[in-house]
Amino acid sequence: MRLRYRPFQAVAIATLAALITACAAFAPMYDRAMRQALTDISIARTPAAVAGLQMTGTTQLGGFTFASHNRTDPPSPEVVADELPEDLRGSYGDPVLGYSALVVSEPGASSDPRGQLIWREGQCEHVTMVEGSCPDAAGEIAISEADAENFGLGAGDTVRVSGIPRDRGERTVVPSVPLVVTGIYEQQRDDYWFGLNLTGLSGVVDSTPPPHVQHDIWLTERGTFDSSEMPPLPNQASTVGYPLNADAVGVDDVLALGDEIERLADDARRDPANGVSIDVYSGLPDIADEIREQTKQSRITVPLLMAQLGLLAVVVLWLVLLAVTEQRRPEVALARLRGRGRQGARRLLLGELLPVTLAGVVPGVLLAVAGVALARTSVLPGSAPFELGVPLVAAVVLAAVVLTSVTVLAVLRVSREPVETLLRRVPPRPTGFALGVAEALVIAGAGSVVVLFATGGLEGPIALAAPGLLAIVVGMVLAHLTTPIAAVAGRRFLRNGRVRAGVSFLDAARSPATRRIVAIVTLASALAVFSADALLVGDRNRASASEQGAGAALVADVVGPDLAAVRNALDEVDPDGELVTPVVRLIPPGKDASSTLAVVPDEFQDIALFPGGAPDPALWDRIAVPEAEPIQITGSSLTVDIDDSTLRSKRLDGEPHPVQLGFDIINERGETLRVLLGELSEPAEHTPVDVPVGCREGCYLTGIWLRTLPGATIDGSATFRNLVGVSDTGDDPVDLGPAYLWAPFDDANDGSVTPISDDPEELTIEVHGNGASELTMSQVWLPGTVPALVAGDLPPGSDDNRFSLVNIDGEESDAARVATLERVPASPTETAVVNLDLVERGSAITSSAVIELWFAEDDDALLADVTAALDEHGVDLSGTTSLAGVRQGYDESTAAWSLQLAALIGAAALVIALLVLVVSAASSWRFRTRDLAALRMSGVPSRSIGAMAVAAQLPAVVVGVAAGALAGLIGARLALPIVPLFAAAPEVSTLDLGTAWGGVVLATLGALVVLGLGSVLIGRALAGRSDIRRLRETL
Amino acid sequence: MSMQGSTHGTRVSTRRLVHIYRSEGHEVAALSGVDLDVAPGEMVGLLGPSGAGKSTLLSLLAGVFKPSAGKVHVGAIELSQATPRELDEMRAKDVALMLQGASRNLLPYYTPYENVRFAQGAARKTGKDLPEPDEVLAGVGLEAEAHTPLATLTPGHRQLAALAVAMASRPGLLLADEPTSQLDHAARDKVLASIADANRQLGTTVVIVTHDPDVAAFLPRTITIRDGRVGGEGRSGEEYAVVTPDGFLPLPLHVREDLLPGTLVRFHLTDDGYVLIAEEKVDE
Repeated sequence: MRLRYRPFQAVAIATLAALITACAAFAPMYDRAMRQALTDISIARTPAAVAGLQMTGTTQLGGFTFASHNRTDPPSPEVVADELPEDLRGSYGDPVLGYSALVVSEPGASSDPRGQLIWREGQCEHVTMVEGSCPDAAGEIAISEADAENFGLGAGDTVRVSGIPRDRGERTVVPSVPLVVTGIYEQQRDDYWFGLNLTGLSGVVDSTPPPHVQHDIWLTERGTFDSSEMPPLPNQASTVGYPLNADAVGVDDVLALGDEIERLADDARRDPANGVSIDVYSGLPDIADEIREQTKQSRITVPLLMAQLGLLAVVVLWLVLLAVTEQRRPEVALARLRGRGRQGARRLLLGELLPVTLAGVVPGVLLAVAGVALARTSVLPGSAPFELGVPLVAAVVLAAVVLTSVTVLAVLRVSREPVETLLRRVPPRPTGFALGVAEALVIAGAGSVVVLFATGGLEGPIALAAPGLLAIVVGMVLAHLTTPIAAVAGRRFLRNGRVRAGVSFLDAARSPATRRIVAIVTLASALAVFSADALLVGDRNRASASEQGAGAALVADVVGPDLAAVRNALDEVDPDGELVTPVVRLIPPGKDASSTLAVVPDEFQDIALFPGGAPDPALWDRIAVPEAEPIQITGSSLTVDIDDSTLRSKRLDGEPHPVQLGFDIINERGETLRVLLGELSEPAEHTPVDVPVGCREGCYLTGIWLRTLPGATIDGSATFRNLVGVSDTGDDPVDLGPAYLWAPFDDANDGSVTPISDDPEELTIEVHGNGASELTMSQVWLPGTVPALVAGDLPPGSDDNRFSLVNIDGEESDAARVATLERVPASPTETAVVNLDLVERGSAITSSAVIELWFAEDDDALLADVTAALDEHGVDLSGTTSLAGVRQGYDESTAAWSLQLAALIGAAALVIALLVLVVSAASSWRFRTRDLAALRMSGVPSRSIGAMAVAAQLPAVVVGVAAGALAGLIGARLALPIVPLFAAAPEVSTLDLGTAWGGVVLATLGALVVLGLGSVLIGRALAGRSDIRRLRETL
Repeated sequence: MSMQGSTHGTRVSTRRLVHIYRSEGHEVAALSGVDLDVAPGEMVGLLGPSGAGKSTLLSLLAGVFKPSAGKVHVGAIELSQATPRELDEMRAKDVALMLQGASRNLLPYYTPYENVRFAQGAARKTGKDLPEPDEVLAGVGLEAEAHTPLATLTPGHRQLAALAVAMASRPGLLLADEPTSQLDHAARDKVLASIADANRQLGTTVVIVTHDPDVAAFLPRTITIRDGRVGGEGRSGEEYAVVTPDGFLPLPLHVREDLLPGTLVRFHLTDDGYVLIAEEKVDE
């Protein structure tokens, strides 16, 4: 009956209660779903070999060595398999049993192949026999195609391998084990092999002493290992592989299983009973750790967001209940006048409101379930079963308790009022700026939490509510100020003759709904803005981290160091370098050294992704290739005249010392040759030089150096003329000048070497040495110091901007930091970027260099074209990394999933605020329409009444949205530092918690449109119902 | 029309009753020393201009307000000293207040029948024997509308329903604030007749606040409240001035129009009593 009388209120209260319950119930279910999804993708992403369990059993008796001359059979695979406790076996599939040994072909020379011999149960079903048959008896083997080709083996051939040496009286006998080749296999790549590659080693020399050639893995029959007729083989071990049964393993199983496996591995290592050692390997403990870590993160973000929404919903419910209980004051008064007392009045209200409130619990749970179901299909990957666990029950109970408490408190507030107050049509309110005790307590409490949080003095769950509490403080203070200010403004408007505005403001000032609206709109707008900011900041940071991690839209790794072939292939596909560019990466040993990234600057700056903005294009000019021709010398020796020398060197004791002069020459292999031209003891007019050099294929003259004793000075000048490369085929005159081909050396401490010459055929140098033992002047074509753009700190021991980096030849080169980069894409924090064209000069690329191709677009067709072009040049790609793939890695984490809730929260906050506007209007419409009807009766035109009805609420909404946006912004700045944005922090941080202004503006506008429009429509609806008949008393 | 259930009227008396409203720093004396005696079973009207203090007096009699000074006796209870529990019990059994406007006396979502039953709840808990709601409604002639939604009742029927609710617990004192306002004549007469029936058949003491001269004429005794004091009393059509406890004599309104402030009067004792002689009149 009572519900029918105010059905809309009942629906509104039940809806809010449902929202609160949904907030409470959603958090644990979404958390659970995230963990399930995380478990699913963690297992799916992990290779079967890592996710599964591998056990290896060996026997190691004390003092046992390779030559202990005792048979040491390992425990059988069945025994090893039994080590896995029975209760864990349900999580795994059937074990794959096996044996392995390391066999050496006789007689054991370095050219005799050695490698693994294995048996695995059911192996013949997982290889394709391209020739012969799968072994089915002891002593039979199947070999790979590569082994057949490399070692000339075929079906029917016999290979003899060495067994374990045995004592035979005084002698040690090495038994010879004949293995008969029955066929040639091709491996079928599937999970059965637990990541074991049978091939790829044939013919590859293992440099581990003693160096030897390797064969691929040979397959044999079980009897080869455990038949008494076969001698034992070296390094014999039994193996067991348990494949993980992913379908049977849920999130809880993974966590428990991870711990169990870790314990099993520890126990096996600690307790090698009877010399038997069982090693256990599984990646599952790491997966479990990752899930735990990400779960911790989700327990920050999900409650952070849901707590704000829950807080909003609770506050709204509180205010709505205050409004509806206020509306029921006459009914409470009646109950009191009929002698029912406070208790009876409470019962009257609770009897009506509590069932309505609690009626929202079930829909709330259903809403949460639907929300989680939606999230599971649209946001979360995986297909784990839906679970409703104890945390859900606890959350629902908590929600019911909160709902009951809020309802009881709201009812108590009214039922305690004296009858005298209850009988007044308009309840008494604090006037002016005075604060009620409850309001003061709430503002002080919430404000204290916010201040504590902002000053870093607050952690833990309560900190998560700080943004919401900040919005409450702002909303309540603002709400409190609004009423008196509106009253003052209204009176001023009236005095100035602006009746419409005056009446609207005064209406707002006297309406109890105004404060409520300001407070809730502020809180909801703050939440919308905070959520939008958090969502977009998270998205931006994941995008930045992805760009930093990937480096480009697509990066392909090249097999081998054939840079010339790579560049030729790229020239064919993309001659302008707009779509793909080569990058050479050199990672030096030692953690303190900078890694080197050699790039083609013009291409790299367009193709590489620079999160946060590309560097100034002018920076790239600083590592540009000098525009100078090299000085090339060809011949087995060179001749040169050193004329007009006034060079003198003086030791510390004042005695003269000879000056050595020389050339730096780089040969065709990239090797630097230091060529001594001769010594000049005193000034000389003409000194002819003739020295041998290994430059038949051509060399580059890259530097001229002078050397003396450490501490001795050098002063004077000399002119080099008539440089000639001499070879059997004839003389090759070489121009040394003019001076601009040389880079003057000038160092405040060491001194200077200055080139002077206008004549291309000769070069004069002026030298002033302060005591350095050697002064070198470089040829411009190949600077002695490599200019580099550097990110991070220079390596320890660097001098000012001078440091050493690993060049593409693998050697250390002098380098100079010419500018600083904030970060280098896809590179460690400390990275030096150099010009590939420059460092390639006179250098051969080292085999340890990694060549990558960076693509401007993730385009399969382009990749196919490049792959084909590379293939034609004999170059393969080993793999690719795409920006989308890296991004997916960041997106598929609880951190990202949690933040995606923000969109839901922001929208829900606005819906709740809209609901408040509607409820406020519904609970006060009789009074307000009567007021408007009175105005209508006094001759105010309908249009003005409509405008007044709108203006009575719209300013409060606008003020609330503006204040909420500000509170949301500040709240985001406070809270975002504690929000985990990544599952694991990226190696190079691109963290940027700056405000996402686009999102903030959008959320603010969204709040203005939704709430403003709602307010206008409500105002019009009230004006439309303000018929003069409203003035008559109505029920 | 007859009412089931019997009661006996409750005596009401006030002595030097003062009530002061405090609002936003201002103090307004609504009543400034009211002495009033209403005998059990009596039916009295409180008259007077707006703001004279009639409704305040009614609220004080109902125990809604605590007097600022003075005493209020309702039956055996002195209201200024009564505990909340005593007041609740008094309202449950002995005193019914009919607020101005029918809707303020009725729970809007209940039918008349349910409203009466609700009003009887507290009294029943005290063990008071009460008639069934149907009988109470029959007492005011609303038996046919017992289960009709309030919103569909006429204003007169709503007011009768409010009266039925007030009489539901068979109180000894019925305090009615403007029970006939906004009613047409027929409805007004019906309501007044029902109140009179209650007074006559149940012995209920009735105090009615009214502006309506017709209602006042209907009442055997009226008390005029003026400026927070008892300004006069009417009995059987005759109007009397009432000497206040401190010896003042409020002049009847029609006399006040003639004897302006400052007029000197003297009292002359005759065989029939005192004669008031205006010795020196002040001209307008």
